[in-house]
Amino acid sequence: MMSPTSHLEPLNGSEKNMVKIIVIDNGGQWTHREWRVLKYLDVETKIIPNTTSFSEIEDADGAVLSGGAPRIGIETTLGNCSSYLEKASFPILGICAGHQYMARFFGGDAAPSKIPEFGKVELKIIKTGCPLLSNVSDRSIVWESHNDEITVLPDSFECYAESKDCKIQVIQHKDKPFFGLQFHPEVEHTEFGETIFKNFVSICETAKK
Amino acid sequence: MFKAEQFIKENVEHLKKTVKGKSLIAFSGGVDSAVCAELVHKAIGNDLIAVHIDTGFMRKNESAQVKDLMKDLELNFKFIDASKQYFTKLKGVIDPEKKRKIIGNLFIELFEKVAKKEKIEYLVQGTIAPDWIESGDDLRDTIKSHHNVGGLPENMNLKLIEPLRDLYKDEVRILARALNMSVSERQPFPGPGLAIRIIGEATQERTEIVREACFIVEDEIEKASKNESMELPWQYFAVLLPVKSVGVHGDKRAYGDVIAIRAVQSIDAMTCMYSEIPNSVIDKISTRITNSLGEKINRVVYDVTHKPPGTVEWE
Repeated sequence: MMSPTSHLEPLNGSEKNMVKIIVIDNGGQWTHREWRVLKYLDVETKIIPNTTSFSEIEDADGAVLSGGAPRIGIETTLGNCSSYLEKASFPILGICAGHQYMARFFGGDAAPSKIPEFGKVELKIIKTGCPLLSNVSDRSIVWESHNDEITVLPDSFECYAESKDCKIQVIQHKDKPFFGLQFHPEVEHTEFGETIFKNFVSICETAKK
Repeated sequence: MFKAEQFIKENVEHLKKTVKGKSLIAFSGGVDSAVCAELVHKAIGNDLIAVHIDTGFMRKNESAQVKDLMKDLELNFKFIDASKQYFTKLKGVIDPEKKRKIIGNLFIELFEKVAKKEKIEYLVQGTIAPDWIESGDDLRDTIKSHHNVGGLPENMNLKLIEPLRDLYKDEVRILARALNMSVSERQPFPGPGLAIRIIGEATQERTEIVREACFIVEDEIEKASKNESMELPWQYFAVLLPVKSVGVHGDKRAYGDVIAIRAVQSIDAMTCMYSEIPNSVIDKISTRITNSLGEKINRVVYDVTHKPPGTVEWE
């Protein structure tokens, strides 16, 4: 299990106007880093296992679906993530396995990558207008760690960035505030990682108003 | 950002309220265990006993330096030389996960022995986030079992205290600086020590080889960073490989082992880039290793793998 809940409560979570963003733990190596980045941005945040029911996170202002060891290219479920995607009206950011699962849930597909990416990769923005990528350079260094990838983009989504070996790196739902990233913005070595998280926090703040 | 003063204040208060009785801290002498000892010492004073175990897999002169550190921190301490026990238990063991578990289990066995004798109730560990993340759990895959997590028995008599569980190394260093501790910038060293820098069986003879090689890597890199020819990496060491290669020594054929140099840049060990060491420094390290280890080592290579796909240590 993750560390005791008491340690995961923010030290001063009651400040006014603070958004509450839940980190859904799909068993990633960097789930706890997502929590750390959000905490550093003064967001009220908490890690919860992906078996948590939607009713327990209903009052959140946003959620991050973490990555994890499950092979979304092969397996078809990811804890209770389907119920969050079905019921949530708040913004959701899917990362790696969370991103692949989001595409599957909305009718797309994921499969084992022909060339899996591990470590340093160059990300190229191919379409403007995604608020998650605001202030991110057209070409930047991101850190990857995936065996599977999205192979069919659902009709309800658009793709905004690619890498040399993986064409679907950043996706956004056309009507809902749902986003997916194949790479990991939460790790130290992703160049614009913090910017992307700041953008997601603003998206959650705007949605709350 | 990370608020060190607040963390120290809140944790010392919390420890004062919750720890009622004698406690033992597993003291390796690294920044995590030293900071943890300082916090718990502030809370319960001399009810804290620091125990350092010399596993036989420490670096050159390290255990002696750790003894001095425990004195400097004015800790009540015990020093246990268990190197013979460790070498015996690791005889013939090659699998890295088995090595790590054997080492972790023996740590706890030795701590429990002290605890029983001294009527100690709590075990304090400087466990930080990557330790339990990489050790795996119901949701997470096991990347490697850290000795302080994967080595714990299911039914332990001691109650566990781990104040640094949600922190990463860079945050622990901020705490160390706020507490004015000399260890604040010390490079990380794994609990299982040199045993996991020897790929294959960790015999006493191979430990001596990797100990000397690690000393040379540290010495040359620290010198180079002091005279500003390179940035000090986050972690830098040598690994002894179970591979032999052919060389030539004084017109005669040589057939010796290989040393890999590893140096990485990171803040938290969760992602790393290999360090760019200037060729002149690599040259010094290589020549010094092959000259001082003579017929044992006749080849040196440099590891250029990031994390992922690699990890920092090889095992």
